Amino acid sequence: MENLLEIIDIHTFIGQYHILQGVTARVPKGSITTLLGRNGAGKTTTLKSVLGLTAPGKGKVVFKGREIQGMRSYEIAALGIGFVPEHRAIFRDLTVEENLKIAERRKGDFGRKQDFIFDLFPDLERLIRLTGSHLSGGQQQMLAIARALVADNQLLLIDEPSEGLAPVIIEHMIGAIRQLSADSTVLLVEQNFLVASQLAEYYVIIEEGKSVKSGKIADLVKDQGTIHRYLGAA
Amino acid sequence: MPKRSTAARWNIPLPKSIRENRGRLIMVLLLALLPFFVAVVDGQSMASVLANEASMSKFIQGLVIEILILAVYALSYDLIFGITGLLSFGHAMFFAVGAYLTGIMLKTFGWSFWATLGLVIVAGVVQALLFGIVLPRVKGITFALVTLGMASVFYIVIQSSELGEYTGADVGLQGVIPPAFLEPAGHRLQLYFFVLAFTIMVYLLFRRFVNSPTGRVCIAIRENEGRAQMLGYNTFYFKLAALTLSSITAALAGSLHTVYQPIVSPNVAGLGLTVAALLIILIGGVGTLDGALIGAAIYRLLDFGLRRFVGESASFINGAIYVAIVLFLPYGIVGTWRLKSFNIKQGWGRLLAFVRR
Amino acid sequence: MNAFFHSLRKNSVLWITILVLVAFFATAAHGMSTKDWVITLLRGLSVGSLTFLVASGFSLIFGLLDVLNLAHGTLFMIGAYLGWTVYVRPDTFIDILTPAALLASGFVLAPLWEVLAGRLQLGERRKRAWPWVGLLLAVVVLFLTLSRYPISTWDLENFAQSPGTYAYMADQGQRLLPPQAEFEGISPALDMAGILFGSLLAAFSLAGLSASRQPADRLRIPWLRIGMYVLLLAVGFGIYAVNDTLSVTLNELNTTWLFSIAVLVATLGGFALGALMESTLIRPLYIRPIYQLMLTLGLSAVGIEMVRALWGRTEFIMPKPALFSGAGEGCPATSLSGWLEHQCSTIFLLGGRVRVYNEILIPLVGIVVLIAVWVLLKRSRLGMIIRAGVQDREMVEALGINVKRVFTFVFSLGIGLATLGGTLAAPSLGLSNGMGENYLLNALIALAIGGLTSYPGSAIGSLLLGMMQQFIIKYGQIGIKLPFLAEPFKPTPPLVPASTVLLMVIILLVLPQGLFGRKE
Repeated sequence: MENLLEIIDIHTFIGQYHILQGVTARVPKGSITTLLGRNGAGKTTTLKSVLGLTAPGKGKVVFKGREIQGMRSYEIAALGIGFVPEHRAIFRDLTVEENLKIAERRKGDFGRKQDFIFDLFPDLERLIRLTGSHLSGGQQQMLAIARALVADNQLLLIDEPSEGLAPVIIEHMIGAIRQLSADSTVLLVEQNFLVASQLAEYYVIIEEGKSVKSGKIADLVKDQGTIHRYLGAA
Repeated sequence: MPKRSTAARWNIPLPKSIRENRGRLIMVLLLALLPFFVAVVDGQSMASVLANEASMSKFIQGLVIEILILAVYALSYDLIFGITGLLSFGHAMFFAVGAYLTGIMLKTFGWSFWATLGLVIVAGVVQALLFGIVLPRVKGITFALVTLGMASVFYIVIQSSELGEYTGADVGLQGVIPPAFLEPAGHRLQLYFFVLAFTIMVYLLFRRFVNSPTGRVCIAIRENEGRAQMLGYNTFYFKLAALTLSSITAALAGSLHTVYQPIVSPNVAGLGLTVAALLIILIGGVGTLDGALIGAAIYRLLDFGLRRFVGESASFINGAIYVAIVLFLPYGIVGTWRLKSFNIKQGWGRLLAFVRR
Repeated sequence: MNAFFHSLRKNSVLWITILVLVAFFATAAHGMSTKDWVITLLRGLSVGSLTFLVASGFSLIFGLLDVLNLAHGTLFMIGAYLGWTVYVRPDTFIDILTPAALLASGFVLAPLWEVLAGRLQLGERRKRAWPWVGLLLAVVVLFLTLSRYPISTWDLENFAQSPGTYAYMADQGQRLLPPQAEFEGISPALDMAGILFGSLLAAFSLAGLSASRQPADRLRIPWLRIGMYVLLLAVGFGIYAVNDTLSVTLNELNTTWLFSIAVLVATLGGFALGALMESTLIRPLYIRPIYQLMLTLGLSAVGIEMVRALWGRTEFIMPKPALFSGAGEGCPATSLSGWLEHQCSTIFLLGGRVRVYNEILIPLVGIVVLIAVWVLLKRSRLGMIIRAGVQDREMVEALGINVKRVFTFVFSLGIGLATLGGTLAAPSLGLSNGMGENYLLNALIALAIGGLTSYPGSAIGSLLLGMMQQFIIKYGQIGIKLPFLAEPFKPTPPLVPASTVLLMVIILLVLPQGLFGRKE
């Protein structure tokens, strides 16, 4: 299976801080790959580096066979990458409908994807006229994911979707992500190993800014040693 | 290999404080000798300087007096903006209150000089309280706008005809009688050393303040007020303290300005002077204290030089130069100098690269 | 319905404050005769509208770009002076059009230059150096050619030919155009060719400065841009060819039409100026906000000096357009149709004499702009992007939207609003060097009251400011009858700004983020 996204030994600096010190990861097309690691390891920075929000100082990022490191964020996103950031980042003053419409890249995107999105997240249809600030945490998360689906995005970068959500909602969300992964590739950052292991096929462990181990999730769940070493309490 | 200090070379164990402040001490010495030096160069005798008759020396003294007063004013602004992080657009008001109050007390009420200074200090406290009313509720830009509003009102009120008999309305307060021993015409040298001593005192006081626990809390407030609050500090009191010290200092600088120039023009309350304060510490380096002094010197000398040689278009070139400094020397003169000695050229290069992206 | 009560409870402080304000102004109005408070209301609306034009632009720029544009007041003033020039001296305006078009021409081809510059195969050192050399050369050429281009203006030294005199004459209806300025010492063809060349060189050099940082793009011939270039050249030369006729026609045009043209030119000029400012000066400093502030302050000072140098320090007037300046028979008008027929400058409304231009037109334009920008913000995709960008710039960019272009548009829009306000204000306020600062201060107070980044806040804040101002002024004339005072209390002029600042402080103490501001 070919790789939709390849992150090759990237180093990212924020100010004087050397946050990523060599991260390599490959995201096979059609899969859900998850980045694992402790708090502050550099998982979110990796996602942001792919999208160009914090551009890598060294290394390469290859998307659909094309090198995208150094490109402007909006150019990268326009190539077909959807972003669901940590803390959702939905626009509080815009209605649900506006939040979705703003994600359009071609006219009519929302109209085309409407059914698909409301199938996945029926609540959103009911809340369509409410502004973002009136939504609950779970509803905001749904909206954030739905927003990434409006345009034709082949790759979805999802950062900590389960954060701050009740277990019941997390269940719903896992189902939704599984469903949408049929058509898109997902690069997931998830602190919660249980959630990650239910969703992902492949994993990459990041520790202190470096990628240290990768492989199939199925193998990882049996490997208590690795789990303890890199993901357990420090 | 570490650089050996000059003290070690001379084999004299100088106390650390003197060693570290070599440059500043030399500066003070030079300033003290300047009037005499100028007189000698101009062909006048030392005695004429002491008798306040050496014209070139008097002229240079006057220029330096203006710079020093401006420097104290800028220092007071650096205290609230550079150290504590409080952006204020009304600083000229602090200065103007001191200037006008001194003028009115000396002229209309015939108070003694020292009593007037006492009143000015009280006025400084009152002003700080006035600006500080909104502090617990209002932050950042909004606070700046409130200060702007208050200072603008003051500027209009001070020129109103209702108060004209005290303030001289839009023409300005004229005919102030400065105290005899500091009279700028006949006792300029005394005034020169008085202002110099005052500047040094203020500078030392501020240095002390910045290095004291209170000062450090102020710096913490500048960096991240929320965190300072979480550490248990009542940031309002600290901000008010800095504001008060700043206000008193600026007002006293205004007083001295009236003594030196016994005509108080409403311009001392105008936005131009507030902008000057911001500009001076930007040129010199925000939060460096030294920067305020250097910036004041550059500001006044540049203004003087441009006006002398270019005349009409001075303001325009002034503005253009400041735009250039802002664009190319973001850390100010002292700031950039200090950075260089930390070898942050790397970071600077990255900053530029980031800016150009 | 539930949502309404929920919102009521959540914002109880806001609603109570609004109630108090309404009560306050109602009482204030009650203390006056009907004709007085109608006039005060309208005047408040007028001042409020002008303040709104400055404040809304400032608020949009601050909200989206985080830029405190302290040069906004100066731009308001520049708008006024530009509008005045077009209106009182259309020949000057026509004269300027040609060199302006020729100067702008080279920059229109910017995308082409960027691609070409990127393709230059030069050594590393040469690559850094040549843009500066080119730029220097361009500046020299442009200086030599532009300074020799004849534009008939006025003479600040000579009273008979000062702006004030021209304004006075225009007001009297005697619009005598001075003789056209001629080329001296250089042939027109050479001069214009020089400007064209300088423009091309400057644009190319500027492209060279930024091209080295971007990878070379594929070479697509930008036909649209080339078309625009040819159009600009055609406009430039065309206007030159018909310069005389055009000037005379404009000069003899019905002043109402001419005024409309002046307003249009000033607004579009503001747009262009804003785009220019943003791309050259503001953009590099987005990451250092304090320096941006100093920069805008510096620009403000430079702007004021330029105005002083070009138009002088003396204040002068701008005559009102014909539609609003009639004073003959049938004036003051008693009805709208009467006004249209006689083109009166005043009209009787509810017993009071109301100036049509100041108190009716200006508030009307204010309302129209309010609605227009409101529609833009709420109903268009661009408006949606702006509203989203005010909240979270990064996320908007992550959605594939080029926020930078939106930035430039918003900045231009803000400046355009300011210059519109300036031209509109000129016939009412006259032109002076200080008009900009006054209105910037007003705008800042209005924004502090209404909420710094809120668009409706800028409207409400401006309204409140205008009202407060005018009510105090009116009471300054008629006096407030207080129960414990024998004589009615007449607020003196200094109390006018003091009252608005007091209002601001009180509101901020109750609602630190302003009426509609966002709680941080």
